[in-house]
Amino acid sequence: MSFVSIDSASYDVQPGQSIVDRIDWTIPAGEFHCLVGRSGCGKTTLLKLAAGLLQPTAGAIRIRGNTVREPSPEVGFVFQTPTLLEWHTALDNVLLPLSLKRRPRPEDRRKAEELLDLVGLSGLEGRHPRALSGGQQSRVAIARALITEPALLLLDEPFAALDAITREELQDDLLRLCALRGTTVLFVTHDIAEAIYLADRVAVMEAGRLHHTLAVDLPRPRGREARYSPRFTALCRELRRAMDGAPVQPVPLDAAS
Amino acid sequence: MTARIGSALLLVLLLGGWELYGRLSGIPSLVVPLPSAVLQTLWDGLATGFLLPHIAMTSAEMTLGLAIGCAVGFLAGVLLAEVEGLRRLLYPYIIASQVVPKLALGPLFIVWFGFGMTSTVVITALICFFPLLENTITGLGQVDPNKRELFRMLRATRLQTLLRLKIPAGLPVILAGVRVSVVLALVGAVVGEFIGGRTGLGASIIAAQGMMDSTLMFALFIVITALGMAFYQAAAAIERWLLRRHWTN
Repeated sequence: MSFVSIDSASYDVQPGQSIVDRIDWTIPAGEFHCLVGRSGCGKTTLLKLAAGLLQPTAGAIRIRGNTVREPSPEVGFVFQTPTLLEWHTALDNVLLPLSLKRRPRPEDRRKAEELLDLVGLSGLEGRHPRALSGGQQSRVAIARALITEPALLLLDEPFAALDAITREELQDDLLRLCALRGTTVLFVTHDIAEAIYLADRVAVMEAGRLHHTLAVDLPRPRGREARYSPRFTALCRELRRAMDGAPVQPVPLDAAS
Repeated sequence: MTARIGSALLLVLLLGGWELYGRLSGIPSLVVPLPSAVLQTLWDGLATGFLLPHIAMTSAEMTLGLAIGCAVGFLAGVLLAEVEGLRRLLYPYIIASQVVPKLALGPLFIVWFGFGMTSTVVITALICFFPLLENTITGLGQVDPNKRELFRMLRATRLQTLLRLKIPAGLPVILAGVRVSVVLALVGAVVGEFIGGRTGLGASIIAAQGMMDSTLMFALFIVITALGMAFYQAAAAIERWLLRRHWTN
């Protein structure tokens, strides 16, 4: 059953200038999909359309058959930067989505502490963001997105600014947490290896359009072995070729005149 | 530490040079009084209690003016930052009113509120109002767009976004406005008393001028400087306390 369905959704900044151009895409429940593409290809915009932060100018996006018109409580979003509130502790940052709805209860605090444990931050819940490293801040941001137990998690290059080792750790944590709850995920990245490692299916985006999709058949759970397996390398190469093969910019018919 | 000793040494050197020059040149004390005489006058003023009611009056005017000016400036700033239409309607007037020399309104306030404390408090409040208005509008306006989007994603109400995001995020800028207001409040209170005060440090300066007592005037400068520094340090301490969570663990 398709959990998210994107039906020829477009987003135009002005008529004739589309950032997202008639995209069709479905994500079955519990699957992990990655969207790869160069900077400026419209992948962040597509993610914001799915989140309900932007409205498509044509087409529709449905979650469980309901058209997305505004941000939904069922959806968690992780931004490119951790976007933590500097004046709150790590724990209060994780509790933010709940504390905007009601006064956090003791069991909410326990849940937040548990999540911080799961992302490897036990003992740091009292720290403020400035006293945390970049990787730790990203972990807090993920815990915050998961506290409401969203059925769908949208992530916008959350690990782009981290070093390679930290990024691999966070990828493993994310896979573990999402598998635990059967969360459906749409993950935007420009990192080919990251996309292959995380995803069940990868879509290549270029100039607002989807050009290629690739099913990743690596067995789960994936670990260090998977990253260096010949199959992994072969899939990376195939994805890279797909990205190269995508036409750079469709040339308009009247370009010569 | 070395820098502090250096600063203190410089002060001693300057005062010593001043004293020496004053004694050797025989310059009349009406023009430039000797530092030793100024300190003596200051000490007498404090010991006899002559200066205390004036210090209390100026402090009270500053505190009241600051409190009223900052509170009104902050609330008006929040209102203008939140209501786009109102801001666009009033912005030309705000710019214009920034340029008006507020102290020039002093005589008018005496017509309206009479001689004494009220006029001075009103002038002080008016002067403190603008830095807070300006900095509140700026502070609330420059919130990280990602954080706004986060609050939209979490479906926060407008009031929640204001109270839980915009005001805390803009607090450093708003408090910088408070610090500017503190400095201006002293100017407001002293000059306000020049125009319409009977008691207070500014009024005492005018009285000392009438008596051609330059030594007392210099002693009053020292008191005013000390008062200003005390208020400034207090404001800086409050700022550090409020922002402790913004910067450190």
